[in-house]
Amino acid sequence: MAIIVLYTVYSALPFAWVGTLSLRSTSEISAAHFAWPEVWHWEKFRVAWVDSHFASYFWNSTLVVSAAVAIVTLLGAAAAHGLARYDFPGNRLIYFILFSSIVFPPQILLISLFQVLVGYNLYNSLIGLTLVYVSLQLPLTVYLLEGFFARIPQDLFDAAKIDRYSELAIFFRIVLPVGMPAIATTVILNFIQLWNEFLFAVVLISDDESSTLPVGIRHFMGDYFQDIGMLATGMMIAVLPVVIVYAFFSERLIQGMTAGAVK
Amino acid sequence: MAVVRLAHVFKRYPGALAPSVEDVSFSVADGEFMVLLGPSGCGKSTTLRMVAGLESITSGELCIDGRVVNDVPAMDRDIAMVFQSYALYPHMTVADNLAFGLKRRKIPASQIAERVRTVAKILALGELLQRKPSALSGGQRQRVALGRAIVREPKVFLFDEPLSNLDAALRVNTRNELVRLHHRLGATMLYVTHDQVEAMTMGQRIIVMNRGRVAQIGKPLDVYRQPSDAFVARFLGSPPMNLLKAQLATRGDQCFAHCGSAKLTLSRWSAADLAASSGTALVGVRPEELGVVEAAQAEGNVLRGKVSAIEPLGAETLIIVDLEGEAGEVTARVHRDVQLSLDQAVALGFASRALYLFDGQTEKAIPSSTA
Repeated sequence: MAIIVLYTVYSALPFAWVGTLSLRSTSEISAAHFAWPEVWHWEKFRVAWVDSHFASYFWNSTLVVSAAVAIVTLLGAAAAHGLARYDFPGNRLIYFILFSSIVFPPQILLISLFQVLVGYNLYNSLIGLTLVYVSLQLPLTVYLLEGFFARIPQDLFDAAKIDRYSELAIFFRIVLPVGMPAIATTVILNFIQLWNEFLFAVVLISDDESSTLPVGIRHFMGDYFQDIGMLATGMMIAVLPVVIVYAFFSERLIQGMTAGAVK
Repeated sequence: MAVVRLAHVFKRYPGALAPSVEDVSFSVADGEFMVLLGPSGCGKSTTLRMVAGLESITSGELCIDGRVVNDVPAMDRDIAMVFQSYALYPHMTVADNLAFGLKRRKIPASQIAERVRTVAKILALGELLQRKPSALSGGQRQRVALGRAIVREPKVFLFDEPLSNLDAALRVNTRNELVRLHHRLGATMLYVTHDQVEAMTMGQRIIVMNRGRVAQIGKPLDVYRQPSDAFVARFLGSPPMNLLKAQLATRGDQCFAHCGSAKLTLSRWSAADLAASSGTALVGVRPEELGVVEAAQAEGNVLRGKVSAIEPLGAETLIIVDLEGEAGEVTARVHRDVQLSLDQAVALGFASRALYLFDGQTEKAIPSSTA
């Protein structure tokens, strides 16, 4: 128990510290790094949201990440179901290719993806970034879901077939609901990963209007001056949806991680 | 209700050397409870899945209710199946599980509710309707699986080892419930099991399968009393029938089997019956037919040996006897009061009519011309 308390404090303290920084001005922070806010600068959130275009960054991030997660989940679940359930020629080859793409660092794709997006007129567009995110997260999603779906007993599918359900209906009525713990796990992992994604967002989007939150936060970092106070405020705005998503899906996430045989 | 007929059905999986199901032919009469019995891997579940439409048929013909259904998908065969794992949809309540198959058949909601209510009453599921399968015991899940089949009112019920996951006591109860249910519904049922007790107690007829083929079809007691070959003889009965290698001999019209030092009189067989046999045979006698007799007074068919193991079961005792002359080992089921000790010399007597005879090479039963 003591260890759990210690670990919780260890994990929560940096978060709480950034929380206090987000309510202090940069000059106050420079004077005392770890002090409690003397004046609570709630207006910093308004400044970030309105004056520093965080509303726009937040909207862009929400749009890109929600769309990418939705597409990845649906495509990934369908692919995982196909690979787990149907014995077709090349099944394991496709699985191996998908799996091996997880091994390579995504940075090696950056230049080629940049060229592809420019070629298809998708550079500097949220659609382009969404498609890139889908391709980045799809292999891991398929890998995680395939493992779970393969453990769903074949009898369930046979029973549904006898109950007159088509393959598509079985996917939506049986596979998705039964696989919900694993799907929730991939949703939360993908959401956190993409919400915080910086590298592809900064390379593939150059317009400030189309920037996502991680790129927007960078605007507080100049060459000669780093606005630590506003940086912390931006980070708090950015981290909020992650906390909400985690709180909403955490129970299912744990179920997905500890899932045994589907009974 | 319907007749199910299989004619020369084969199933060969791609890449397999031998067919999993080979030349299987049988017919299940309207309203009959037929049991497919056999050891693991004998093709009984594959046969059932072919009837269900979950496996394709390589060759042969399958008819349900007079219609050839080889190429008819499972959903259009009007069958219901109860699976070994129950196959309940884990994300649905019991009520939804029962109604799931009916909804797809565009049955009016009021009728679905009525049917679910009726089935819940028959199977005492009323209080469980709003529970999810994870909140049910094994027996309750089993009843829901049964209910899901009954509520559909199909032409044919198929059961794939539905009692295997239940504990021994519950298995006996559910076995009886199933038999009562069959009487009540009068439906055509095809039931797969590897448990010969289930087969003997539930089936109106049984089909014994071995290595993808039908070994024997008949009423349970007929199959038990007149096994068609040594496999069926061994498979039906617990402990299984004792089978001893023997040399056949005739003197005039009298026939004998020599097992080690024992000379057994084959009173049911004539010399003409043995004429076609290979000279060697497997002599069979069921454990319950063997009785301990006084060694000095023993006459007629007697097997002598030493007790090598004693298994007191309470109601009765099993003794395992190593026979003289390295004739083999036999198990005898004797009264619980019989007092024996290990390594004790013992004589086991039995009536001539209790003997079974199988050809030494083909292992087929050697028919006798006398009753």
